[in-house]
Amino acid sequence: MAEAAMLVLASLVLIMAIILWKSLPALKLSMIIRIPGSGYYLGREGGILNAILGSLQLVLGATLLALIIALPGVIFLHSYLRKKSLLAESIRFTLDVLWGIPSIVYGAFGFLLMITFHLRASLLAGILTVALVELPILSRALDETMKLVPSELKEATYSLGASRWQTATRVVLRQTFPGLVTAVLMAVGRGLGDAAAVLFTAGYTDKITTSLLQPVATLPLAIFFQLNSPFPAVQQRAYASAAILTLLILIISLVSRSLSRRLSRHKIL
Amino acid sequence: METRSRLVVKNLNVYYGKNQALKNINLHIPENSITVIIGPSGCGKTTLLKSLNRLLDEQDGVRVEGQVLVDGQDIYRPEVDVTLIRKRMGLLSQKPQVLPLSIYDNVAFGPRLLGIKARPVLDGLVEKYLRLAGLWDEVRQRLQEPASRLSIGQQQRLCLARGLAVEPEVILGDEPTSALDPQSSRNVEVQLLSLKQNYTIVLVTHILRQARRLADYVAFLYFGELVEFGPASEVLTSPRDPRTRAYITGEIS
Repeated sequence: MAEAAMLVLASLVLIMAIILWKSLPALKLSMIIRIPGSGYYLGREGGILNAILGSLQLVLGATLLALIIALPGVIFLHSYLRKKSLLAESIRFTLDVLWGIPSIVYGAFGFLLMITFHLRASLLAGILTVALVELPILSRALDETMKLVPSELKEATYSLGASRWQTATRVVLRQTFPGLVTAVLMAVGRGLGDAAAVLFTAGYTDKITTSLLQPVATLPLAIFFQLNSPFPAVQQRAYASAAILTLLILIISLVSRSLSRRLSRHKIL
Repeated sequence: METRSRLVVKNLNVYYGKNQALKNINLHIPENSITVIIGPSGCGKTTLLKSLNRLLDEQDGVRVEGQVLVDGQDIYRPEVDVTLIRKRMGLLSQKPQVLPLSIYDNVAFGPRLLGIKARPVLDGLVEKYLRLAGLWDEVRQRLQEPASRLSIGQQQRLCLARGLAVEPEVILGDEPTSALDPQSSRNVEVQLLSLKQNYTIVLVTHILRQARRLADYVAFLYFGELVEFGPASEVLTSPRDPRTRAYITGEIS
């Protein structure tokens, strides 16, 4: 058991080490503060600021959208439906199936939507598609954390004369806040790292995206395209992009952890 | 003895699935006194208590028949707003269940539900009800701390203050001292005794000595049946029913 745990740790260290090693020649400050230099599509000079910003724009929009849908949905599931009702169980089953669908399928679905609505590959289309990918993850993770709320806590709140909505928003959300942050984090991680969903829908660009209707660059696709290049210099930049993506996820995870700790001081038990 | 009663249970039957938990309960709960419901575990004491503020609604697979009248109004009629009913009754649960908020916000929760927002008014209410629950002096310096940092005995008195802040007419207690140490239990009991002039109190307990200390009236439940109800002095000393006698003398528990 201890060996297995060590293996998990070792694999993380190994992956990080190899990526850093391969990316070292290309890892310069310009990578994160500049867009690709002119002349080369993927850039032998300049940086991948377009993809860094693009990934953040995309994942921010998608997570926000997914949260706006998931949160009321999960509150409904928990506070308004009986625990084992047919509707509640069907919703959970559907979410589990949606979770398992590969993101390339969502990508294809998003592509189909774009064709139907005559939309070009754009930030908007990317946001919609990634939101679809994130929705089941976010919903089920929120669902699981809300299941941990003691029924006595809800009873205590109801017995003060609070309605279901008041109980959910003023007490249950407070109690589950750390879980909520974790759930959002899982969704952000998935959204940041997904290449297949944005391949057809978000497109790619050398520039910084300033409108919802422009195509947007993303880090996974930056890695994908750069690795495809025959030039070793560009391949090194792919590894640098991978290191930056990993670092980004690490930073987001650390920040949300400390945030969740600070905001959960009232949590009971 | 004639007593006024605004809480009346009529022909109440409660079923959990196919099991009948309460069988045709009829009860007039006297005002401004403490009514204690006693009986062995699993005899329906908590179910009866939770039927009084419709907390049973929140459990799956429960069916309620019959009536619970508050001031003559049947609270189980479909047009009744359940949140209004619950605001008229404060509940103390077995384990104190503080809300994941500060001490202050726990007490202010009920008043805020009523739409009170002005800080000075809330400050006054928080102090008033913490005093009423006998907790003010212990927490006045730390009102913004998480309620979960209080000792379990203090938490139960905080729950009492929080329940009182809704300005209920009835206080329901489901073995409210069972998780507390003797000193904390004593504190809670003292508060309950001092509150009975102004409130109607219904307590569930399985501790007979507690019933002796607190009860003005005693209801004995056995396997979902209301076996006996009357003034504490009668039921606890010279019960009429052999089952009550067996319970009180400790032959059955």
